[in-house]
Amino acid sequence: MIQKKVCMVGVFATGKTSLVHRFVHSLFSAKYHSTVGVKIDRKQVQVGTEQVNLLLWDIEGRTPEQEIPESYLKGAHAVLYVADGTRRETFEQLFSLRDHVRSAAGDVPSIVALNKYDLKGQWVVSADDGRKLIGGGFHMLTTSAKTGEGVEDAFRWLATATLTPPSTPTVQPQVRHGN
Amino acid sequence: MPDDGAPLTESAGTRDLGEVGVRELSELRDLLFGAERRQIDELRRRLDTEELTPDELAEKLPQAIVQRAARDRQLALALAPTVESAIKESVRRDPREFATAIFPVLGPAIRKAIAETMSGLVNTINRAIEHSLSPQGIRWRIESWRTGVPFAQIVMRHALVYRVEQVLLVHADTGLLLAHVPDGALGDADLVSSMLTAIGDFVNDSFEPKKTGELRAFAAGDLTVLVEAGPRANLAAVVRGTPPDSLPAKLQATLENIHLRWCDPLTTFNGDAEAFTTTRPLLEDCIETVLATDRPAKAGVLRRFVWVIPVLLLLAGGIVWRTAHGNQQWSAALARLDTEPGIAVIRTERSDGKWHITGMRDPLAVNPSLLMASRGVDTNDVVAHWEPYVSTEPALLLARARHVLAPPAGVSLSMKADTLVATGRAPELWIVRADGLAPALAGVGAVDLSHVTVGLPPTMEPLAAEIENQRALFATGSDALDQSTLTTLTTVAGKFRQLITAADANRYDVRMQIVGRADPTGTETDNLALSRRRATAVRDRLLSLGVKASRLTVAATGSGDPISADAPAERSRLNRSASFTIRAQPSPTAAERQR
Repeated sequence: MIQKKVCMVGVFATGKTSLVHRFVHSLFSAKYHSTVGVKIDRKQVQVGTEQVNLLLWDIEGRTPEQEIPESYLKGAHAVLYVADGTRRETFEQLFSLRDHVRSAAGDVPSIVALNKYDLKGQWVVSADDGRKLIGGGFHMLTTSAKTGEGVEDAFRWLATATLTPPSTPTVQPQVRHGN
Repeated sequence: MPDDGAPLTESAGTRDLGEVGVRELSELRDLLFGAERRQIDELRRRLDTEELTPDELAEKLPQAIVQRAARDRQLALALAPTVESAIKESVRRDPREFATAIFPVLGPAIRKAIAETMSGLVNTINRAIEHSLSPQGIRWRIESWRTGVPFAQIVMRHALVYRVEQVLLVHADTGLLLAHVPDGALGDADLVSSMLTAIGDFVNDSFEPKKTGELRAFAAGDLTVLVEAGPRANLAAVVRGTPPDSLPAKLQATLENIHLRWCDPLTTFNGDAEAFTTTRPLLEDCIETVLATDRPAKAGVLRRFVWVIPVLLLLAGGIVWRTAHGNQQWSAALARLDTEPGIAVIRTERSDGKWHITGMRDPLAVNPSLLMASRGVDTNDVVAHWEPYVSTEPALLLARARHVLAPPAGVSLSMKADTLVATGRAPELWIVRADGLAPALAGVGAVDLSHVTVGLPPTMEPLAAEIENQRALFATGSDALDQSTLTTLTTVAGKFRQLITAADANRYDVRMQIVGRADPTGTETDNLALSRRRATAVRDRLLSLGVKASRLTVAATGSGDPISADAPAERSRLNRSASFTIRAQPSPTAAERQR
């Protein structure tokens, strides 16, 4: 069995915890967020014949006052960025967030979950923005905490990416965004 | 062409050949000698330059280092500054790399230093606690004395009960679980492992942002989690109860061991913990349950030999006491010896484990060895050298006088100035002898015997008189013992035995002379023979009554020494007899007998 450390990061209140809530095994309560600033869950993913245990570090969202602690990012095998489609600033901060993560964890496989797809009508992120993101080197998919859409895909993609040697190019996952 | 016949020089020839010719010649030369020329050029270059090429140097360097290092310290001295600079530079660039490299070496060294410091601290605590005198404290103190374990440790032993319930080996960077014992004890060990790391990071970031310390332990109620941090992996132990001071050291040692043996898997770890299943035996060694009752068993070996301690103490105490006591006894005996008449101690010294004593001793003084032995001194440890001398101390003078004069029991001797004074009752023979011998004694100026009356001691005198008053009577012309005479002789024998007993008590030698007599009738020759027969008959009878022959002598006087009586008939009857004379004189002393 393979274990991988996956950090889940995003701007404050992008719905990270809600997003994965139904898909992961939790031992620790949500209050860890407000105390320690991180809550760790486990997600098991089957990749071919290999079972991968993703230790998901659900790190408290970044605020204007507080950067995500580097020590939590250290040693991560993959990163799951979460942005809120209804809040543009969560989207725009992804680039600086990525720089911060890279400085702590290196250039590890990462994917952006553009969340709250169920509220698509309120989205302020356009298809052009999505293309900009992909052009900036991000992998991206849309997710919904409410419907659970895209979440399993995100995890499977992350698990597969951590098992793939860095030199092998990964396939851009299917991206769905506003039409 | 020149016509002087001189040979063509090469240059002239070359000139004549022209540029094309030169090139062709050069090519020809290259074709014929190219390889050789290059070799020659290389040899020339080597001869011209003393430096070695990198290739040559790489070839020779290891051997050169070995040879030079074996010869002297110059190489080490030359390299030292460079090596020091290199280390400094390495540490300056990234201290963690260097710390990681020396981690397995550093740990034991630091632990040793800390253990020594702690040992001193325990001693300090020990002294502090020593003043507590609760009943429990006294009981523990007895235990400490019995087992030889310091008191503080005994206290801690009773206070501590703990159990290491789980041990987790955690990858330092990722917080991923590498191994966990016991199996199945913690369903979400992987989550706990990561969370532990997160909490450690949280504490570090929150409270020690500038330092690189690690969270070492945290406790909640009865549970303590000890975390030992290493460069590549951490070891966490979940302990119920109060963990002993030795546990972190044990965890640290285990962690160092793992770093050493699983160095490669730790460095290349990428999520697959398979390689670390083999660390489980090491982790399981850390799992332990320690009850208060378990603890003394650890001192088993110590306790087996603990009896040695009191025995050694007793022995040491005994030696000290014996030495001190021996010295004390020796001093006391020496002081006593010095006051003893006739003994003059000149010098004493201690050497070769023995006492050496030199002095002078009057032969009549007490035996110094006996005196010292009576004072508890082991005379085997004493080497004595005594020069004989004559002491004129009064005590010695008297001793010498007693030795020479052998006064009978009724006589006492004393010194008055230089005059020897005798008082009491003594046989005349002794008085005469004493009068002659005493003035010859060293230190005696005169003898006063005026207070000595002649006679036997009081217990002997009446018996002697009774015996001497007895008469063994015979019929005319007969030496036969009639009934009356036999009765008389029985009485005499009994009295004489009593006298012998009294004489022994008074140190007198006593004998009895039997004097046979006859009345004046008949010729004197016959009377003499008759009187001898009568004395002999009496002696034989006394012998048969148990008197020893050595004490009896026989004399015959015939009618020559008659017993007087007024009436002639009575006088004749009394002289047909045997009478008894007692001869008593002081026994010779043992010394006199030897002489």
